[in-house]
This record gives sequence, C-alpha cells and structure tokens, in this order.
Amino acid sequence: MLLNVLGVTCGYGTSIVLKDASVQINSGDFVGIVGPNGSGKSTLIRTISRVLQPLYGKVLIKGEDIYRLPAAEVAKEMAVVTQERGLDFPFTVRDVVMMGRLPHIKRFARESAKDLEAVARALALTDTILLADRQINELSGGEKQRVMLARALAQEPKILLLDEPTSYLDLNYQIETMELLVRLRRDYGLTIVMVLHDLNLASRYCDYLLVVKQGAIYAIGSPHQVITTDIIKKVYGCEVRVECPNSIERPYIVFNDEQISVVRKGNERWVHVVGGGGSGVLLFRNLLKSGWKVSTGVVNVGDSDWQEACRLGLSIVEAPPFCNVGTNEVRQNKEMMQKAQYIIMAGIPFGIGNVQNLACVLEQAEKGNPVIVIDNIDIGDRDYTGGKATELYGNLLKSGVRTVKSEWEAIHLMEGDEEKWHPEVS
Amino acid sequence: MIHDNFIKRSAIFTVLIIVLLASLVVGVSIGAVSIPPSEVVGILFSHIPGFDRYWAAGLSPEHETIIMTMRFPRVILTALVGAGLALSGATFQGLFRNPMADPYVIGVSSGAALGAVVCIMVQSVWNIPIHYGIPGAAFIFAVMTILLVYNLARVGGRVPVMTLLLAGIAVSSLLSALVSLCMFFSGDQLHQVVFWLMGGFSGRGWDDVYMFIPYGVIGSTLIFIYSRELNAMLLGEEPAQHLGVEVERVKRRLLIAAALLTGACVSVSGLIGFVGLVIPHLVRMLFGPDHRILLPAVALFGAAFLVIADVLARVIIAPGELPVGIVTALVGGPFFIYLLRRQKNAMF
Repeated sequence: MLLNVLGVTCGYGTSIVLKDASVQINSGDFVGIVGPNGSGKSTLIRTISRVLQPLYGKVLIKGEDIYRLPAAEVAKEMAVVTQERGLDFPFTVRDVVMMGRLPHIKRFARESAKDLEAVARALALTDTILLADRQINELSGGEKQRVMLARALAQEPKILLLDEPTSYLDLNYQIETMELLVRLRRDYGLTIVMVLHDLNLASRYCDYLLVVKQGAIYAIGSPHQVITTDIIKKVYGCEVRVECPNSIERPYIVFNDEQISVVRKGNERWVHVVGGGGSGVLLFRNLLKSGWKVSTGVVNVGDSDWQEACRLGLSIVEAPPFCNVGTNEVRQNKEMMQKAQYIIMAGIPFGIGNVQNLACVLEQAEKGNPVIVIDNIDIGDRDYTGGKATELYGNLLKSGVRTVKSEWEAIHLMEGDEEKWHPEVS
Repeated sequence: MIHDNFIKRSAIFTVLIIVLLASLVVGVSIGAVSIPPSEVVGILFSHIPGFDRYWAAGLSPEHETIIMTMRFPRVILTALVGAGLALSGATFQGLFRNPMADPYVIGVSSGAALGAVVCIMVQSVWNIPIHYGIPGAAFIFAVMTILLVYNLARVGGRVPVMTLLLAGIAVSSLLSALVSLCMFFSGDQLHQVVFWLMGGFSGRGWDDVYMFIPYGVIGSTLIFIYSRELNAMLLGEEPAQHLGVEVERVKRRLLIAAALLTGACVSVSGLIGFVGLVIPHLVRMLFGPDHRILLPAVALFGAAFLVIADVLARVIIAPGELPVGIVTALVGGPFFIYLLRRQKNAMF
C-alpha cells in the first residue's frame, strides 16, 4: 500500500468539508477523483498533499503519517500540480522547474549533474524545452500549466497529485497531458491521483474513480461501475446518457440534448410509428414533445430506431436481430395499430425481413384506420423484395391513406385536423 | 550557461562591493573638516593589526580622532541600517508577495516611534538624563508590537499573510494615534520628538553600532538561510509546501528575523522611509527575483545608498544637517519613478 487515507475528516474553521473519507491507493494506480463543485475533491487532494491537516484520521505514505514526516521527505515522494494562479514573477521556466529539486538539494549546495538531468528530462517530457529560457510570467495559461507539471516531474516523485490539471489546456494538450501521465505510469511506475471535472477524460484514462458527493466518498470503482446514469443522476442531479459500446471500451457520457417532458392533453393520444433504420428518430422525439403516446414496431433489436425508442421509453414490438418478423410479432404489432389513433409509415426500405410491416399497415388502411404515409423516396428505390413491396405499397396508396413528404408534415397534419379527420375515435 | 551566470553574478557583486567601499570612504572623508580620501584609507588601515606599520607615518592625530570616534562609527552604522532596512523590506515583499510591503508594514515603525516618544516624555517629566534610553525603549516597543500583531493574526496555528497585513495596519494606526497624542501633550519636547521621527544619524557612535550588531547578525543570517525557501514561497504558500518547505515555520522565522532587523534599525536611526521599499524593487529590476542573488545584492545596494544619502544630508545645508529620511525620499523618489516609467512590464 503506497498511500492510505484513513477516515479523514477535514474542514476550515468550524465547517466540515470532508467527512470520514478512506481510500487505499497502490503503487502504479491511476485514480480519478470526480464530483460536483464544492463536493470536497480539492479538499481531499489538499489533505493528501500535506497542506490541510485533518481534524480526525490519518494519511499514511508507505505506512508513515505524512503529517509527522518533514515536508521535504514528503516532497521527495509526492509532487502536486494545482491550478496555478501566482506565477507573476519574472523567473525563467528553467528556474521554476529547478525549484522542483528543492527537496533534493541540500541547503547552500550547488545543483548537481543529477539535478540538471532531472530538470532536462522534465522539460523534455512536458514539451517545454523551447520555453526554458522564457519568463514564466509571460507564458499563456496552458504553457504555465505544463511548466507546473514539469516542476512536479523534476521532483522525481513516486506519487503525482493533480488538481484539475487540464482545465487551462486546449483539447490537444488535454489529451497529450493524459497520454503523458499514462506513459509516466507505464515507464516510471508513477502513481497518479487526479481531480478531474471531465468525466469522459476520467473514464477514459483512470483505473478507478472516486466519486465525491457532499463531503463524503459516494462510490469507488472502475469507470464501468461508477459512470452510470444512476450514479450521475444521484451525484450531479442531472440526466445524461451513458454509452458503452462494449466491456473493453470505457463508458462515456453524452448529454441529453433536450429534456422531453411528455405533456398529456386530455385524452391520451396514441400514434404508432412503423419505422426502422433511423427513420423514426425525428418522429419519436417530436411526437413525444407534442404530447403523443408513441409506440413502434416491428423493429429489430439493436436497430438505431430500437435504441432511440428504448431511450425514450416507447412501447416497442421487437424482433431479434437479423430475423424476419415472425407471426407473434405481427400479431402484437396489429394490436398496437388497432389501439393507436394514428399509424405513421416512415419512408423506409423494405426487405424480406420487414415486408410484413407493410402488409400490416395495408390491412389497417383497408379497415379504414387513419394511416399517414411519408412518401419521400420513390418506392422503387427502396424495394429489396423483388416487387412484392412495390405492389403492396401501390395498394396502400390507393386505399385512401394520407401521403406527406416529410416527418414534419406528418406531425402538422396530425396536430391540425385531428378532430375532423378521425371521427370514429371514441 | 551556468558558467556565464556565475561570471555575471561575480561581476555584479564585485561592482557592488567596490561601490559600497568607495561610498564608505567618501562618507568618512566629507564633513565639517574635510579629510582627503587617501588619508582616510591610511587611518583606517592603521587600525588593522598587521597593516599598521605601513600606514602609521604622516597621519594627523586630530583627523584620526575625528574619524575613529565620530565619522567612522556613523558611516558604519549608516551602512548597517541601510542594509538592514533594504534586506527586511525585500523579505517582507517576498513573504507577503506584495510590492507595497516595506520594513514597517506590520507596525514595527509605529511601535518603535511610540517607544521613543514615551521615553523622551518620561525623561522630560521626571528630568532623568537617559538620552541613551531612546534606542532601548524603541526596540522594546518594536518587538512588543511584532508579538502583538503576530498573535492577533494567528488563526488556528496558521498566520495567513493577509490577516497579518491587516492586523499590522490596524495596530499601526492605533499606535500612530498614540504617538500623535503624546506629541500633542509633549510641549517643549515636540522638536526632539519630531526630529527623532524623521530619522537620521546625527551624533550616533560606536554604542549604537554595538547595540545594532547582534540583532543585525541574527536577523540577516536567518534571512540568508531561507533565501531559497523565499523563492519557493513566491509561487504561493501551498506550492511551496508541496516543494517541501515548512511554510509556517519558515514564515514565522522570517517574520521574526525581518522584524528584529527593522526594530534594530529604527531604534538607532528613527524612521527612515523609502530605503526598505524601493531598494528591493530597484535590485529586482536589475537582477531578477531570485532571492539567493537578490538578498545579498539588496543589502550591499541599501548600504551604499544610505551612506551616500547621509553624505548628501550633511553637505546640502552644511554646516547644518538635514534628516536623512528627507534626502532618501528626495533623491530616490524621482529616480524610482523614472525606472517605473521606463520599465514597461510589471516589475514585481
């Protein structure tokens, strides 16, 4: 065990900011600390970095209480990179990086060859060699941040603590910094503990994450365990989507682009969408927003319309991937179509697998149920059944359905003349 | 690279030392009785064991008395005070990371002034001839002020610099009010009080040098010891802590060192403004912010500057004498403003 945080409680004055936090960090770990603003992430880093003595509890480095060790001893083991603000003094970058050697150089001693070597290496690793003779107060925020990292590396620590080290960096240097940390861990066995705001960066690079909420550690676990819609909702109080293509890739967060709150206007209005292959995506969202209850079918599991329908919580009639629509699904699909006030037929391609859907819609249309056909692509260009679909489609158009040219037109149609056009709805 | 720096630094310090020595010789040679510099050097060397036999011939005993009992101690004291004020000014500026800081920033000056004023008044009321009590009283009051300010600023084992600055300002204005109150009731002694407050080296002798030396040595040694920690603390207290600096301990020791130094300066020479504020800035503009170079350079520069200012104070209205504080401000102010205007980027 390299670093052991044991039941640490800290605060400023009388207010407690962090309660009873315990973490064990092993040599070579890459740990991310995430959590909302003011949750105590930075306080945790400050306690671990021997700046803020805990009221209760201990921080042990290799089994020794860091608050009992001399500061210089701790500085040889552990370097810290924070968001620097000071740095207004005309030191050269080389001077600042050389300050990283402070715990290693005896008082009044000159810098040794080893110190110069460590500084040169730190400059090279952080891509700051070209800045070495410039004055630190003349650098940009991102350059300063890299110099701070170089100074920390010049300390030749075993543990590197970072408090939002990427917040001043552009996208390129954010990723480069993270890649550099990965390399340092691999090549030098450096242990890395970092506070990160960007959950996707945290998920992508960290072995495990500490989720801090209201001054307590809420969860510790691998990105797969911790980056979930549920935990993010509970910790940050916001709805996001977590996507994870497979168990090898790290999960990542996508913001819900819009909040869909279903508005019910009196009677429940139900529309059934026959779609597939992404044709339904636009319809689903906008229909929901207009207060419709939406169902869809038959779609294959894994289809993009299926994924979207699942996210939005629609009623779905689904078939297994790459399978033809079976009799059971057809029956369910018909039941839904019967119940719905409208059936929308999107301009989808037809193959052997889904031509059954077209047949169902035709059956409903012939029964006199209201059907809207989005006829935006010529049926000849999307018939992969050897003419069967074209024939059914032709019959469908002749059965008295409404045809529109776009999804929006379909929605407007339903919103506009719903009462007149659908007299048999009870 | 390092070699270049080393040569450059050596050259800088050689020049500074020569300037200081020259100003000392000029300081000794100029006065009511003008003594040629060559004779000054001769008389000084004749007092160094081993050199005396080469220089003893042809020296005027009157001049020797003037130099050894009056001018030399005065010039030495002036140099020491100049070095002390500049050094403690540089320390406070570094410690507070604040360009406005000067040796008097945490109220040492007001404390010393109150001590001196109280002493002068006590002497007059009870008619006690304790003229030499003034430095002692000033020093005691200065130290008590530091302790008061430090303890007022302490919050749970830490001394945040901002609190310290504010406590210093508050205590300082309180003590200044007390000084004004004393002056209001001082009557006949008003002139003496005002004259002391303006600062100067008129009539100072070896006693003052001896009184200054222990505090000067302790204070400046501590400051030199912690010069690299001061560098790290320029980055901020937390980053310094991360680099292995025991920030609170270093801060406490530096505060005490700089305050002792200032207290010693004030008690032997009154309130001499400007040196402690401006010399560190000037040297920083020339040599950069590295305290390992800055601090010795500041001490040499401050010493030479105050010796020259004291020479001017003696010659401008000769045979009368101006308070040296007026000269430092009159000479240094415009020069500093010139530098400030010429230097386009921030200097601190």
